[in-house]
Amino acid sequence: MVGAPSFGPRGVMLRRLLNAAAAVALVVVLFLVQSSGSVKLGQVFALFAIWGIATVSLNLINGVTGILSLGHHGFMLIGGYVTGLLMLPEAARQNLQFSARNSLSDFALGLSVERWMEGLGLDFLATPETLGVRFVVALVLGGLLAAAFGLVVGFPSLRLRGDYLAVVTFAFGEVIRLLASTPLLASYTNGALGFAGVPSGFGKSVWWTFGALAITVFVLARLKKGSYGRVLQGIREDEVAAEAMGVNVAYHKVLAFVISAFFAGVAGGLWVSWVGTARLDLFLFTLTFYFLVAISVGGTGSITGALIGTALVVWVRQYGDPLEQAYPLSTWLAAAGVVLFVAGVLGWLYRRGRRMRPAAHPLVIGAAAVGALAALLAWAGVFDAALAARWQGFGMRAIALSVLLVAIMIFKPAGIMGRREFEWTWLLRDKRDVPSDEERAQDAWLRVGERAGTAAEPRGVEE
Amino acid sequence: MSVHAAPRGSSTGRPGALRRAAPWLGLAALLGLVVWRMYYLHGVNENFNAAFFAGAAVRSVQLGSLYALIALGYTMVYGIIRLINFAHGEVFMVGAFAAYFLFSATPFAWPVAVVVAAVVAYGFLRFLGFFRVLGRPVVLGAAAVCFVAVAVALASVRFGWLGAMVASMFLTGVLGMAIDRVAYKPLRGAPRNSMLITAIAVSFFLQNFGLLAFSNRQTPFRPPSFFTGQLTFQVGGETVFATWMIVLVPVVTLALVVVLTSLVTRTRLGRAMRATSQDAETARMMGVDVDRVIASTFLLGSILAAAAAVMWGMSFGSINQPAIFGILPGIKAFAAAVIGGIGSLPGAVIGGVLLGFLENFLTALFPRVGSFTGITEYKDTFAFLAMILILLLRPSGIVGEDLSEKV
Repeated sequence: MVGAPSFGPRGVMLRRLLNAAAAVALVVVLFLVQSSGSVKLGQVFALFAIWGIATVSLNLINGVTGILSLGHHGFMLIGGYVTGLLMLPEAARQNLQFSARNSLSDFALGLSVERWMEGLGLDFLATPETLGVRFVVALVLGGLLAAAFGLVVGFPSLRLRGDYLAVVTFAFGEVIRLLASTPLLASYTNGALGFAGVPSGFGKSVWWTFGALAITVFVLARLKKGSYGRVLQGIREDEVAAEAMGVNVAYHKVLAFVISAFFAGVAGGLWVSWVGTARLDLFLFTLTFYFLVAISVGGTGSITGALIGTALVVWVRQYGDPLEQAYPLSTWLAAAGVVLFVAGVLGWLYRRGRRMRPAAHPLVIGAAAVGALAALLAWAGVFDAALAARWQGFGMRAIALSVLLVAIMIFKPAGIMGRREFEWTWLLRDKRDVPSDEERAQDAWLRVGERAGTAAEPRGVEE
Repeated sequence: MSVHAAPRGSSTGRPGALRRAAPWLGLAALLGLVVWRMYYLHGVNENFNAAFFAGAAVRSVQLGSLYALIALGYTMVYGIIRLINFAHGEVFMVGAFAAYFLFSATPFAWPVAVVVAAVVAYGFLRFLGFFRVLGRPVVLGAAAVCFVAVAVALASVRFGWLGAMVASMFLTGVLGMAIDRVAYKPLRGAPRNSMLITAIAVSFFLQNFGLLAFSNRQTPFRPPSFFTGQLTFQVGGETVFATWMIVLVPVVTLALVVVLTSLVTRTRLGRAMRATSQDAETARMMGVDVDRVIASTFLLGSILAAAAAVMWGMSFGSINQPAIFGILPGIKAFAAAVIGGIGSLPGAVIGGVLLGFLENFLTALFPRVGSFTGITEYKDTFAFLAMILILLLRPSGIVGEDLSEKV
């Protein structure tokens, strides 16, 4: 295979046109979202973009380079706190300074892009109208500090591999979070209390977040397609072979960590802005778990897949709250029965598809039967009196996502997209067997040969 | 050919001797530093006396023993299938909550008792299956008796701490086997990253399941027991206050470790485990039922985790809410296993006790003095930092064999 499938001679033009059309369509969709008047819808879209940045950047390490990294929440924490602190408005700073709940040092309270701009004599960048410029500065600085930490975390990757490395990245991520609440760093993070009042206009704006996502996807897609990406994928496939081919494996691994950490830091900054508060419980390992689910569902190594997975995770997180409300126990029993029944049926289908004998294993039949019975009885109201107590389903969303992750790992480890990326040809290419550019060229060559009388038998060319 | 080229390890023996002695010299130097530090602190403040440090030491042994018990589960599973069982901390959490419900609840409602008894009977059958007697009528009869007895006991008897601990060990052991069967067994031979991600998913599942089913807040854990009563003893004329748990925990840990060691070294199952750990494929060819060996590894590890969990609750008087209770003990115990040398049973025990000292005794060596605020707040990071350092400098751990990945 040479290059990506194309539309033929005018393919580049067509692809550019389609890309432009898609961009316009996205802008229209975002505009509709914004003008729909639903605050929640806008926030969900913004959260999708923010987590999308984090997932796509984690995908660079986990998917493209094949290093399982579990410390992404640590990078995000650094970017988030830096952005939050640099963007804290003057009023919030003064409130904090004279508050008893403040452990920020005066030096930390003086860290403000606004003050820097004034100090540099760039007063026009310290006005309320140019808040956006300052936010970009803060975001980039947060990303850079996260990238510096990515350098630190990347170094163990030179000595360790596989699950040991995964555990070390996890440990780094947790150490960042634990250290942030200790006196050592509390003068910058305000300990467990954190600080509120971070301007939330950016993290909740679809334009800012999707702009950042577009830049991230553009940069990382180019990176993946280009020579660096090929090297990183080579490291994933076979590190020793890559080294033997003259690749500087150490440099590229650390580079992957640094780039990924930069974008994670940017995502962290937007995430803090989305919430409006810099708090430690925003950066639990749960965050990395969500991204891991997104990558695994979408397809490890595929940017398109990472975005599909993010959409799923964000949808479950933002619209799954009916799962966690209080219902009578009989309702829960009915739901559990339905789940058990569906699981039984799926198990039967799976066993039949894999030609396992017997397809109707007693366990499968039993699950379906018990589930159906429980669901029917509960639905008929048999248990309404006995199980009237209401019960709240704490943690149901995370349970659903973890079950999904286990199922993906067992039944479809490549995820939805595998390692492929989205191509327009999927949608528009003629489904009949149309010869590729290469084949056309070959045919032309053969025909030329035929005319000249050199090619005895034009093989495989049947018009 | 050089005349002076003496073969390695020649009779002069000087470099070899020095190299052999180096760890012991280092240990002696470390002990010297510790003693000097204690002496210095005593000079600064009278309160830092022998009793203060003795109390810290016994608490270190207590905490370290608990870490050791959990670490054994990590190290056994890693030794056999090279999987970092992220869910082990959550198995530990379930062990604590199972015991909590057993001793704190008034006798169970019948439906709950029957369900739990069914789980126990199933586990009983599986366990007997390891000894190749499954299918005999007497075994089925025993399982039936077990089922009825457990159901009756749960529905009518109130458990003490020991009964709750034993029952919880059994239930949690069955849980460990179930996790292996449902989540890990379909992934045998899959890339190790997939297995690790699955383990993380199982861990999240159990955290949130605990939140759903057990509790969503910190739970008091005070079974009526002699051992939670106060124990005082004299060191250097000063009194050390503690509970009898400082005796119970190391003793139970030692007993369990002895049982486990003899199981691994002397029984047929243990031999199969060691064979599987060396080379699963060859072991399978030699007639070892590898899946059963792996299941039994999860069973044993989870049993130890449940024992640790019950003693953890009794030691500290409360257990945290399920979503976070298992994480820190679990990951610290994993760090202990790495420090000791993952895959090695003595390594896990040594690493656990070492980590206990690192957390408790080191904190006692650097207390709040004058303007220095002490290092208590940093306690939780020690395990992580020690693990990172060990992995970078000596991945095989203190006693472990060489595990560096060759291609």
